Amino acid sequence: MGIDVAGRGIAITATGLTKVYRNGPVEVHALRGVDFTALRGEFVVVLGPSGSGKSTFLNILGGIDSASAGSVLFNGQDITRLDETGLTRYRRDHVGFVFQFYNLVPSLTALENVALVTEISANPMRPDEALDLVGLTARRDHFPAQLSGGEQQRVAIARAIAKRPELLFCDEPTGALDSATGIMVLEALTEANRATGATTLVITHNAAIREIADRTLRFADGRIVEDTANPCRKRADQVSW
Amino acid sequence: MVIPPLRRKVWRDIRRLWGQALAIALVLGAGVATMILGNGAYGALSDTRARYYADHRFADIFADLTRAPLGLLEDIATLDGVLQAEARIVKLARPEIPGLAEPAALLLVSLPESGGLNRLYLREGRLPAPDAANEALVSQDFARVHRLRSGARMTVVMNGKRQDLEITGIALSPEFIYALGPGEMMPDPRRFGVAWLSRPALQAAYDLDGAFSNVVLRLAPGTPPARVIQSLDRLTLPYGGGGATGRDEQTSHAFLDAELGQLRAMVRVLPPVFLLVAAMLVHMTLSRLIALEREQIGLLKALGYGPTRIAAHYLEFVLAIALAGVVAGLAAGTWLGAGLAQLYARFFSFPFLDFGRDPQVYGLAAIVALVAAAGGALQSLRAVIALPPAIAMAPPAPPDYRKTASVAERLLPLRQTGRMVLRHLLRWPLRSVTSIFGVAMAVAILVASLWSFGSIERMIHVTFGLAEGADARITFATATPAAAVLDLRHLPGVMAAEPFRVLPARLSHGTRSKRLAIEGRSPTARLSRLLSPALRPMPVPEHGLILSEALAAALGVGRGDRVEVAFLQGRRAVVDLPVSGISLGYVGLGAAMDLDTLNRANGEGDLVSGANVALDAAETDAFLAAADAAPAIGFVTLTDLTVARFRATLAENITLMITVYVGLAAIIAVGVVYSFFRVSLSEQGRDLASLRVLGFTRAEVARIVMAELAAIVLLAQPLGWLLGHLIGRAMVAAFSSDLYRVPFVMGREVYATASLTVIAAALVSALAIRGRIDRLDLIAVLKTRE
Ligand SMILES: Nc1ncnc2c1ncn2[C@@H]1O[C@H](COP(=O)(O)OP(=O)(O)OP(=O)(O)O)[C@@H](O)[C@H]1O
Ligand SMILES: [Mg+2]
Repeated sequence: MGIDVAGRGIAITATGLTKVYRNGPVEVHALRGVDFTALRGEFVVVLGPSGSGKSTFLNILGGIDSASAGSVLFNGQDITRLDETGLTRYRRDHVGFVFQFYNLVPSLTALENVALVTEISANPMRPDEALDLVGLTARRDHFPAQLSGGEQQRVAIARAIAKRPELLFCDEPTGALDSATGIMVLEALTEANRATGATTLVITHNAAIREIADRTLRFADGRIVEDTANPCRKRADQVSW
Repeated sequence: MVIPPLRRKVWRDIRRLWGQALAIALVLGAGVATMILGNGAYGALSDTRARYYADHRFADIFADLTRAPLGLLEDIATLDGVLQAEARIVKLARPEIPGLAEPAALLLVSLPESGGLNRLYLREGRLPAPDAANEALVSQDFARVHRLRSGARMTVVMNGKRQDLEITGIALSPEFIYALGPGEMMPDPRRFGVAWLSRPALQAAYDLDGAFSNVVLRLAPGTPPARVIQSLDRLTLPYGGGGATGRDEQTSHAFLDAELGQLRAMVRVLPPVFLLVAAMLVHMTLSRLIALEREQIGLLKALGYGPTRIAAHYLEFVLAIALAGVVAGLAAGTWLGAGLAQLYARFFSFPFLDFGRDPQVYGLAAIVALVAAAGGALQSLRAVIALPPAIAMAPPAPPDYRKTASVAERLLPLRQTGRMVLRHLLRWPLRSVTSIFGVAMAVAILVASLWSFGSIERMIHVTFGLAEGADARITFATATPAAAVLDLRHLPGVMAAEPFRVLPARLSHGTRSKRLAIEGRSPTARLSRLLSPALRPMPVPEHGLILSEALAAALGVGRGDRVEVAFLQGRRAVVDLPVSGISLGYVGLGAAMDLDTLNRANGEGDLVSGANVALDAAETDAFLAAADAAPAIGFVTLTDLTVARFRATLAENITLMITVYVGLAAIIAVGVVYSFFRVSLSEQGRDLASLRVLGFTRAEVARIVMAELAAIVLLAQPLGWLLGHLIGRAMVAAFSSDLYRVPFVMGREVYATASLTVIAAALVSALAIRGRIDRLDLIAVLKTRE
């Protein structure tokens, strides 16, 4: 147990994960008992129709949302039982996030946005190293307002991996980008995944992206309805949208 | 009736932004309240006084003399410009009140004739019978303190003889709105009162049959008092006239003038500060609201709402808040005004003091406040009108921080969060600067009010600690040969007695002149000393004069200049004397010279007016009893009592004033801090939530906003000190009159107290809103673009 055939350890395990939103009398079941295990360094693509619970799933795994039932085991710890302080520590020490809208701090340059995170983590890379990984060394002193969407997203990726997280969660990182830019972002992600060994979960609406992943999950109606391995990963620039 | 959707949005916005709306309303309300208070009190006081003066025929000119035949009145009445002249008898007597051990004085004034001047307002009872020898009216405050009602009896020592008087009623007079006892610094109705008796009664008591000792005149409108005073002085000269005075030197009138001057100073400073800060808050809040609602504005425009209609909607939002502030301000102003009127009623005896609900004052305050709020909204409204719908509907470009990287940043070893703070502050420099200014105004208001504590302590310390070493001051009923001082030394408890002489005189230099009492001092005096502005004792010069700073300034003279001194008593000598020095003095105008030189110049012989004495504290009661029994003694003032009264009166006033000012400053500080915080949080909420997702703790995220606030609040301190210092200086100038000169004592503790108070207020409001940082919604910010 805990070791897969390839000899990689387990990064994170979700068991019976359930999320119910209650808005007055209306109950929305966002997750209906999800079981999931990711291995260290695995690159997982999450697909599924809108409203199927992908973001909810990722947010609970990332420690920014709470589950209604079930558990999420990370390093032998059930993060669904952590309090606010524990969750903050968890995010700070182990998790990197990349979001559809980048969420960069507009008053900080690219390099400073990365440094924002390296300053508070235990074993970070140098900020310029992280920027180099996403190919943005030349733009290090530019503010978000001076960067294109794709560049901003790459800065966000650099910021997410600079702390050398065990887990990297990306919610529609290419959602706001055209395909050419999207490919560059995906390249950055796969490179980050390779370089840091972070277990990477990427939500996307673009089914073609699964070709660059180790594994694909498909969500529907709050459940994982399909879990397929991809034995031959393609490089991002080989994917057609 | 259907409420238009935009109208509904106004209410919803106000409810949603109630904190900011409240902050604006409070600051604006404070502006309105201070306006009502200041203008209202000024109006009430000056109108009431004017009406009282007119209805009760308050005289324009007052003159004391020793004794003049009634026939002289004819000559006075026919002087050019004189409408009416009335001869009176005015004498100081000593009331004997059971239980009152301290020295007290009762000013006896003959009742005005029917149709006469300074007519009384009869609060209760009846006038004394025209020729009743032992009936009197007493002044209201004196009666109140001693629980004297009509029908009560009172013993008064008049001209050395005990007399039993029946109080027929209680009255007020325009002459004694502010009733200050002889030698006192503050009114004390326990120890000073006025009694009005029939002329015959006073004639008999003071041997003034067919004569008078005081005359009051009413002038034809537009007559300059100075000329009449000159002619009057000429007429009264042979009868011991001490020099006539106009209203401006009449104690009661002058004190009211000083109070009015202070009120005017307050109205000039406080309301504008609040209105300015309120306008600034409106600008801050509205421009953020509009930035957030760009898309809605674009949509409305696209739907066909005209730009002015949309601007009107936001104006409506601002005016609705302003209106709430105005209403609150009007209510608070009225309430505070009533309180102030009560305070005034304690110092000033008016038959009525209507803190008038003058609709003009109210209307003006309301309009000015609404205009200030609309003014604050102006720029944002213009932006609303100018916003093209297409651009409005597109998401706003991310704020551009390119130009904010600053020198400061390179010098400070900042973390990234520190950079965020600094750059956010610099990104909106106008907002940062106005916020700093707002907080600075809160500090300034406190600095400008708190210094008065130190100032009063300095006055007391200098006047009674350093200058006045005597325990009591004895004033004879009339000027007496110097030998009488020797007799005083035999009174129980008297350890030392040093003579003084006071003589009324007019001091002139060029076109400026002032009437005052020159004090003759013995060069060997040790008890009571003159002090230089550097607080060093000054010897009494053999020939020249020592003028108080206030007098020197009023006459425009300095050391070495010469002034003309016209004595207003005795031989009426006019001499030219050098100014040998300038002395420190906070109360009244003062001039001192050598006692013998004074007597020689005046030519009435070797006379003294009284003596400063050192007392054995254990024998004070015996001393007072003996002084009471000595017919030659006019009145006694005890230094301790004067200080206590001075301190108590001012302490009471100042405590009240400081409470109000602290409240006002807190309103500004809280209002500015809260609004700044909300706007800053609204702008950076998304960034802060992102930081939380990245693993920043609540405390770390809160620290970013708090650091921004701290920068604002701390930068505001030195500016506040400076502004407060300047306002304080201006107040000193406004408060200084011939009656008082206030020392400007601005110590470090004033700055410290002001800063700590404002920082505490900022801290309280910061803590109150800290919860908003803790409740940042992490997920919502990830789902949306700004
Ligand atoms: N705060 C909330 N309150 C109520 N229901 C919510 C809330 N957040 C999400 N939901 C519901 O939970 C369900 C899952 O939402 P989720 O955001 O996880 O879907 P998703 O798969 O990420 O969809 P998309 O692809 O559109 O991002 C949806 O039906 C959504 O309406
Ligand atoms: Mg989603």
